[in-house]
Amino acid sequence: MSVWSGRRRALTVLLFLLPTIIAVLIFNIYPTILNIYTSFTTRNKYKPNPDCSVALSGVLDPLCWPVFRDTAPVGLGEPYRIADPPFKNYTDLLGKLFAPPALISLGKMLVCLVPLIIANAVNKRFAKEVTPPLASGWVWLMAIISVVILGFVLDFFAALATLMETGDFLVVVLRTVMFVAIRVPLTFLVGLILALILNSQHLPGRTFFRVVLFIPWGASAVAILIALVWQFFFRDQGVINQLLLAVFNYKGPVWLNSPVWATVVIVLADIWFSYPFFMVSILGALQSVPNELYEAADVDGASPWQQLMGITLPLIRPAIVPALVLTSITAFQMFGTAFAITAGGPQLGADKPGATEYVMVYAYRQIYQVSNYGRATAFAVLIFIMLFLATLYSLRITKITKGAR
Amino acid sequence: MSKKLFPVISILLIVAFALAACTPKPTEVKNVTITIWHQWDGKYLEAIQQAFADYTAAHPNVTIDLSKPEDVANALNVAIPAGEGPDIIGWANDKIGEQALKGNIVALNDYGITQDFLTSTYEPAGVNGVVWSGKIWALPESQEGIALIYNKAIVTDEYLPTDPMNFDDLYAKAEKFQEDTGNVLVCNQAFGGSDAYHMSPIFFGFGVPSYIDETGKANLNTPEAIAAAEWLLKFKDVSLAENSYDICFAALKEGKVGMWWTGPWAVAGIEESGIDYGILPFGRPFVGIKTLMMTKNAVDRGNQDVVIDIMKYFTGAEVQKKLSLINKTIPAATEALLDPEVQALPAVAGFGAALNLGVPMSPSPYSSAQWDPVGKATQAIWQGAATPADAMAAAQTAAEEAVAQMK
Repeated sequence: MSVWSGRRRALTVLLFLLPTIIAVLIFNIYPTILNIYTSFTTRNKYKPNPDCSVALSGVLDPLCWPVFRDTAPVGLGEPYRIADPPFKNYTDLLGKLFAPPALISLGKMLVCLVPLIIANAVNKRFAKEVTPPLASGWVWLMAIISVVILGFVLDFFAALATLMETGDFLVVVLRTVMFVAIRVPLTFLVGLILALILNSQHLPGRTFFRVVLFIPWGASAVAILIALVWQFFFRDQGVINQLLLAVFNYKGPVWLNSPVWATVVIVLADIWFSYPFFMVSILGALQSVPNELYEAADVDGASPWQQLMGITLPLIRPAIVPALVLTSITAFQMFGTAFAITAGGPQLGADKPGATEYVMVYAYRQIYQVSNYGRATAFAVLIFIMLFLATLYSLRITKITKGAR
Repeated sequence: MSKKLFPVISILLIVAFALAACTPKPTEVKNVTITIWHQWDGKYLEAIQQAFADYTAAHPNVTIDLSKPEDVANALNVAIPAGEGPDIIGWANDKIGEQALKGNIVALNDYGITQDFLTSTYEPAGVNGVVWSGKIWALPESQEGIALIYNKAIVTDEYLPTDPMNFDDLYAKAEKFQEDTGNVLVCNQAFGGSDAYHMSPIFFGFGVPSYIDETGKANLNTPEAIAAAEWLLKFKDVSLAENSYDICFAALKEGKVGMWWTGPWAVAGIEESGIDYGILPFGRPFVGIKTLMMTKNAVDRGNQDVVIDIMKYFTGAEVQKKLSLINKTIPAATEALLDPEVQALPAVAGFGAALNLGVPMSPSPYSSAQWDPVGKATQAIWQGAATPADAMAAAQTAAEEAVAQMK
């Protein structure tokens, strides 16, 4: 057996890793760096081309590379440059978030949430004791009451309104978070109920229902097209309004012209697309719950509700939590359904994002419709930072990667 | 064979080769494929395809490839630097400035197109529409603007506004029409949509000179613009709540609306559906020029002469007359427009009158800053999210910000 010299061994290892390293550099690192660089420039449709004599542009912009340099268009437009000040795209987006009024509002909103944090800590502490002095439900109830009182005292909604005035970024992100917060639990609920029904031994034709209920998941591959069907349902002269008129003799609202109803329609359509994912995940997890537990519970006289809360949910938790995290991420990236149904509208004015202009729709509009590359890339960087932190946090909670070392 | 013959044969061969090299080669015709990216659709496209087929029949060495990419602007950004772009782009003239700034298209002055040729061949609106910054960037194909196309069977003379600038009259007529028939008089895809183009007859009709002028000055919060926005809000009461191209077309066919505020592109479909229609100019619409532009790639490939020839052929009087008779377009070529057969077309007469009232669309790059603010503002007004004055003030700010990005 020959003993490798250190250098030769390192070289061999490097050669084996090289294809992967190159692929990562080309497909992950380079686009990220170009994106970050662009976010500090004035690049937009009026200043589309690079000034290749600027060192970083010369290296990073493909138009300056020897392959493209000869064929790259040279227009009458000025080349893009580093923005003045460099953080301009970021300050445009985050606007007055760091000005005193916004910071005070943010502080007030955080103070409103303090009772929840305290309740969580108190409950953890009580859980260690054999006989907790107070049931956890009571602690949460007190915390929620405190939140409501604090909310009134500190005027939570006024603070929120102040924050929403600070620029596009917060408006778009908060709206998206709200969308996720409504859509994910509802989808989970629908998926759970359907899975429990389908898991029942007494249901005739289970296989048929399993297939039929799974159809929307297949349809979500062509989500944009099917979303147009949903749009058709909810048009002023659409199916829903025609039915309302024919059956109840009631003239329905113009659903998609109202910010609230338009959001509801998108949530509905998206729940329809995504409940099968939960349904199937939960159905799979339910198969692994031993039947003896339910029999024992029956003997002990537990009600179906108690069985659900005490046996089913805790045992399927390991399957549900990653599904919840994944669905939250896809919901945050919502694009097709929202764009096809409302295209980000209804519009609220020229200086504001539309009522359903979620993160991805906003980014799409900035790039493809307004061609404001500088701002769009700055937006992407901010979203990246936010999602990165959120993902780290969710990994800690779910421990999805535990064991994968 | 005797060895003596070798030198003789060798010399003969050499002479033969040398002579063969000297004889003039028969002029070899280079085969070229010209790619055209266009915006033509449906019925429109059939006649246009025929026109190009006629060209390739007369020029067997030329192949013309017509394609219609989904998102031309972004497709160009990728294709042109890679040398994979089209040779010709068929596009509206408001794209000229932006494309020239980017360098995707080339000025035609360097390739034998002169101002004299332009003015002697095309209508003044067409000429103005393709000249920017002292250079010629495209050849004008046809002119277009929108007017009221009405169904003669249900809109009788009493409901037709007599003065194309009297918006109060149009409102009164629409109100009366609704009272009498229960239907809506006017459908316009800009009502409730984000569509500054189809809003143009209203804003310009109220006296707004242009959304954004050649110097980059926005005119969106002027008293005229606010008056137009207020009229729009009022007109909502006598309109459909939702309007789009398809909704308007279907409603016109079903007799649920009397008029459709649209352009020549809709005429072929309306004729096919058998509606007896009339065209009434109203307001001051944008006059857009459909053009053919030559790309940088065409020059890189050495196709410029063929490209210019095709552009001249297609925008010329002969082809445009044929297209006008079939597609009811309004030619930019003067000779085609003045042709008695073309003049006799009701669509040309009707839209021609609308174009005469209209405001030419500017080829300046500032043009591209107008669509988003005006579209969003009018949608917000229609949906009640903002008052006309607030919405127009916000649109002014947004337009100024967009123009500032350019400077």
